[in-house]
Amino acid sequence: MSTSDKIRNRVQTWRAELSGEGSVRARLDALEDEVQELRQLNRRIAELTDVVVELLVPLQDRDEERVREVLEHYRANI
Amino acid sequence: MTASHSGTSILGGVTVDDRGVHVAARATGPLVLSVEGRYVWSLTPERDGTPDAGGWLVRWPHILDRYLDGVGRIRVTDVAGDAVFFDADVELGSGEGRIEIVDGDGNPLSVDKVGHLTRSFAATDESVRHEIIEGTHRALRDLRESCGVEAYLNYGALLGAIRDGAMIAHDSDTDVCYLSRHESPADIILESYRVERTMRALGWDLLRMSGGDIKLLLRLTDGRICHIDIFVAFYVRGTFYQLGNRSGRVPREVILPVSQVELHGYSFPAPAQPEAMLAFLYGPGWRVPDPSFKYADPPAGVRRLDGWLRGFRSTMGEWTEFWTGAASDTVPRRGSDFGRWVQDQIDPSEPVFDVGCGSGRDATLFARGGHRVWAADFSRGAIRVTARRARKRGLEIQTEQLVLGELRQALTFGARLARDPHHVFSRQLIGALDGPAREQLWRLCRMALRGSGRLLFLEFSAPGPDAPAAVPADLRQRVDPELIAAEIRSFGGVIDHLEVGPGEDLYDQHDPFVCRIRASWPAPASAPAREAPTA
Repeated sequence: MSTSDKIRNRVQTWRAELSGEGSVRARLDALEDEVQELRQLNRRIAELTDVVVELLVPLQDRDEERVREVLEHYRANI
Repeated sequence: MTASHSGTSILGGVTVDDRGVHVAARATGPLVLSVEGRYVWSLTPERDGTPDAGGWLVRWPHILDRYLDGVGRIRVTDVAGDAVFFDADVELGSGEGRIEIVDGDGNPLSVDKVGHLTRSFAATDESVRHEIIEGTHRALRDLRESCGVEAYLNYGALLGAIRDGAMIAHDSDTDVCYLSRHESPADIILESYRVERTMRALGWDLLRMSGGDIKLLLRLTDGRICHIDIFVAFYVRGTFYQLGNRSGRVPREVILPVSQVELHGYSFPAPAQPEAMLAFLYGPGWRVPDPSFKYADPPAGVRRLDGWLRGFRSTMGEWTEFWTGAASDTVPRRGSDFGRWVQDQIDPSEPVFDVGCGSGRDATLFARGGHRVWAADFSRGAIRVTARRARKRGLEIQTEQLVLGELRQALTFGARLARDPHHVFSRQLIGALDGPAREQLWRLCRMALRGSGRLLFLEFSAPGPDAPAAVPADLRQRVDPELIAAEIRSFGGVIDHLEVGPGEDLYDQHDPFVCRIRASWPAPASAPAREAPTA
């Protein structure tokens, strides 16, 4: 294979890598999506922490009326 | 050059028709458009328009569509109002009657910088403007003294204060910010929840707009509601972020310690270097008024803010507009066929939770049938419509907002329903939910129905050959019944009934592919079944 053929083959391989499913562009898109999913965990952590802090401790009292009040009050304030 | 009605010279180069505003190819700078002598809209042709006949065409904002019918005196000027480019009667739409861009009470409306239709300060009485200033002052005091956050006046109100000591005429609300001391988005959101609770406890009516901003609803004596936005600002790894969507390099010294600025005679906390903040927000030309200004936010910053703080209420405005606008009149008022199908399967003594109640047509059907009814919807507009209909008919229906995109709301509804078991009824909701919101619905159902003997009833539009798009367009989609069944099963539900066949859409029009599902949630093997109350 001549040098120019080798260069042509290599360029074709690079082109395929740049445009195909396993291309850098496609992997970057997937990576961006995954990073965004991870960012969204911040809100979930905040919501779970809020529920635990605001509800779990009062619920430990096992006082029916108090539990109902705490649930209603929490709901009214979110 | 021609003469206008008032005798002012018309420079020309601008025409107005049904399509929008045509501007000849030359730099006019930002333009101000008024209809019948009242400010309505600002535009910058080069930025907002598309090339057309050698110049620019700036199309009417869609939000004005329903008002642009009739004849109206339209005037297009520069910002100062000195250079008049167009001033004439224009016939739009049918051309019948005069164009009136006003709210239900006859108050003039204008398009604000984010494209919403509001009343601007220019159209506000002095005394009402005073109420807005006073309300903003109180909000800042509550934030600083009761919530303990470093709050300051910002955006248009700050710009007006620094430039003229007065509100900007074309502005319609006030914005305040606080600089969080946290750098982790989860902590920033938790802090915003605490701010929300404190402000509610102080008597503020408010809406949560994202994990980092809330909107105070200030009722004014002229019947209008003024919005005071409370935006969080914070640093993550040295980059400054401030809601709306701003991000970039802003040294902490620009903000703290806060300074004081004067606005209509009131003293407000402001960034330490207000001029530097304004240059960050509006660019180096901030001193020159431009009502058509639009923010140019770095996309990477917007992407981060979207990921950290947003994603649970993106269609809320559209749904509220739908349920409170003319379109909802085309939704029939009588109970749906699906509602009657469900009613035949349950006892009147058994309560029903209608999730995604919309106009409340089925909630009303169940209440009439003797069921205790609890109705919830994403849209506060829908809830108001449901409550109003129930009141009119003398029916008792408990109504409440439920944002399924918020985990803590799904969990608390689930907990409350677990203690007071209802059948869960949902018609035409599934197609309006994204994946995460559907997941919260199944979580709610698992908590509410597990071992209770109560059932889930669902109806939604399914895909099929040549199926038309689901309605309303852009707000609802057809959803694969097998996907829904698999999701329900993955959350511990059992599908008792699944059928796909011809049925009715939201407007009771023929829909060739409608899916009905009935599901139950058995008690976990280790837990004793709960006894379902009889009423």
